[in-house]
Amino acid sequence: MPASNSNHTLPALADLTDTQIAEASRAANEPEWLTEWRTSAWQNFAESTPPFWKRTDLSKFRSETITAPLGAHNTTLICEQDFAKHGVIFTTLADAIHNHGDLIKQHLGTAVDPTAHKFTALHAALWQDGAFLYVPKNVSIEAPFLATFTFNNGNHAIFPHNLIIVERGSSAMFVEEYVSDDVEGQGYSSPATEIFVGEDASLKYAAVQTWGKGVYHIGSQRVRLNNNSNLNWVIANVGGQIQHVEAETSLENVGSRVEWTGATFANGTQSLLTAPILRHAGTNTESHLDFKTVVDETGYSTFDGLIKIEHESHGTVTRLEEHAIHLSPKARTDSIPGLKIDTNDVARAGHASTSGQIDEEQLFYMLSRGIQRDEAKRMIVRGFFEPTLDRIPVESLRERITNLIEEKIR
Amino acid sequence: MNTDFVIKDLHVQIEDKEILKGVNLTVKPGTIHAIMGPNGSGKSTLAYALMGHPNYEVTAGEVWYKGENILEMEPDERSKLGIFLAFQYPTSIPGVTVANFLRSAMNAHRAEEGKDPKETAIPMAQFRKELRAQMSMLEIDEGFARRYLNEGFSGGEKKRIEILQMAMLKPTMAVMDETDSGLDIDALRVVANGVNALGQQESEMGILVITHYQRLLNYIKPQFVSVMMDGRIVREGGPELALELEDKGYDFIKEEVFSNAS
Repeated sequence: MPASNSNHTLPALADLTDTQIAEASRAANEPEWLTEWRTSAWQNFAESTPPFWKRTDLSKFRSETITAPLGAHNTTLICEQDFAKHGVIFTTLADAIHNHGDLIKQHLGTAVDPTAHKFTALHAALWQDGAFLYVPKNVSIEAPFLATFTFNNGNHAIFPHNLIIVERGSSAMFVEEYVSDDVEGQGYSSPATEIFVGEDASLKYAAVQTWGKGVYHIGSQRVRLNNNSNLNWVIANVGGQIQHVEAETSLENVGSRVEWTGATFANGTQSLLTAPILRHAGTNTESHLDFKTVVDETGYSTFDGLIKIEHESHGTVTRLEEHAIHLSPKARTDSIPGLKIDTNDVARAGHASTSGQIDEEQLFYMLSRGIQRDEAKRMIVRGFFEPTLDRIPVESLRERITNLIEEKIR
Repeated sequence: MNTDFVIKDLHVQIEDKEILKGVNLTVKPGTIHAIMGPNGSGKSTLAYALMGHPNYEVTAGEVWYKGENILEMEPDERSKLGIFLAFQYPTSIPGVTVANFLRSAMNAHRAEEGKDPKETAIPMAQFRKELRAQMSMLEIDEGFARRYLNEGFSGGEKKRIEILQMAMLKPTMAVMDETDSGLDIDALRVVANGVNALGQQESEMGILVITHYQRLLNYIKPQFVSVMMDGRIVREGGPELALELEDKGYDFIKEEVFSNAS
């Protein structure tokens, strides 16, 4: 094994080979199928060309210098109580692989496709950290399950993989949070989250990205909803240097519903892209997607959304809303809402979109009450995000994001 | 210090069109002064210009209050000087609750240079008590405190919330722009009672009531009435002038002004 392994780190990406990946996998006592899964993903990574992303600039990203630590050091799992007596499992995915290998084998890679592109392939080959949450049938847990990921220093990569299974008739709350100070050099965060919500089950899911400066965040999230299940998903993106997140809700079978809201704030030289897909692949499914974006200074944010209604999907109700506020003339947003309908039988499909500066009338109204201009701006932006942030299920997290947002408005 | 509110030869234009063509008017502390006039006479322009709306360009004139020419001040500074505008069309602020908005406004008024805002902020309990009392006076359901400001409010609800803000901020000079528009008779009575109660509490408050119709003046009784037409004050008098206008309409003044000019 290379020397770098002594401090539990794989060699830099440029020097890494499939043999080393297989050795590391075996050294961690992973089942053989997983070792093969990783090496085949690595081959896929090595052979594929980088995707062309028009709105995500990776030209300054020095991926080859990045090293990935071994083991799940960067995952912190918090739940205020141990629900093991209800059959709930909440542990790192790396640990779970030893005791719940079959469950993982059955689900891993069936929501987020490792072969989607070069970055998902790299993730599949190298994932280390991440949460495994299993809620068995007919169990309702009110307390949130929180997974926090962080960086220790720059020129590191983390590859957390979260696997969440909520079985029939159950309900739960899962929060993934990415948090760090500004990093020296570059950090690379490459998470994937796969979520399965069973029949009549419901999940509240919050994904919160508050990386410090210097972090490239390229991730995937996909939730698959079964019969009559419910998803309430909130996304907040305020940190990092470059973000490219592909997110999808698949409404499968009959009667599933999603309420999906997002809040993004890009300033400085940040470039934050979110690409949400609503895939209606069932009958009488319902979706509501509401994305809010604020940009300041030379920040750039992209909303690249798609509603896809498949051929056999009847009685779909869907509504997409996206709103953006520009606090500076040099800040930019791109909005590319797409609608792809392969059926003649859509119950309702709607789209609303606004983009512009802070409303002068709102500002004047607040000034006329004695509120200073800066404070008025802060209040308007906070109010703009409020309905979204209100859905974040952990109060301390909600406050932290509100504070981060306020600090950004200077 | 002179606490008269004095408008001197005020000229205001919007997008190069002159709307106010030399308005002169003085409101004394503790008095109610009504400005009446037909649509398009410049009444609302006067209200906006007094508060400092950026779209209303002052090309000449002065407005003196408490020793300051307020035209040189930002709208928030005018507010802190004690001037309040009850809007004809209040804006909604999504995501900002009525309570939060009011507390921010009050704290802005209480802030002092060189002091930590936390030190001067109104204590939460005191704020809540005050808010409850004023909402009850204006017959506003307490649930409104938690609603987003003016979002989805009816015309009448918006007007009550304007007066609620006035009651909380306790201005010394209030400008009320068409406060009666969109109000049914019951709502009008509640709003007017609120203004009158406030006028009694704050005996030094000057009030400038801008209205098209005499109806409101049955409830908020002015000592002085000025008639505005084509950007100027064309007649001044006491409450009897409002009744005369109600009786004869604006045309008779128009004819007088026209014949004087010719």
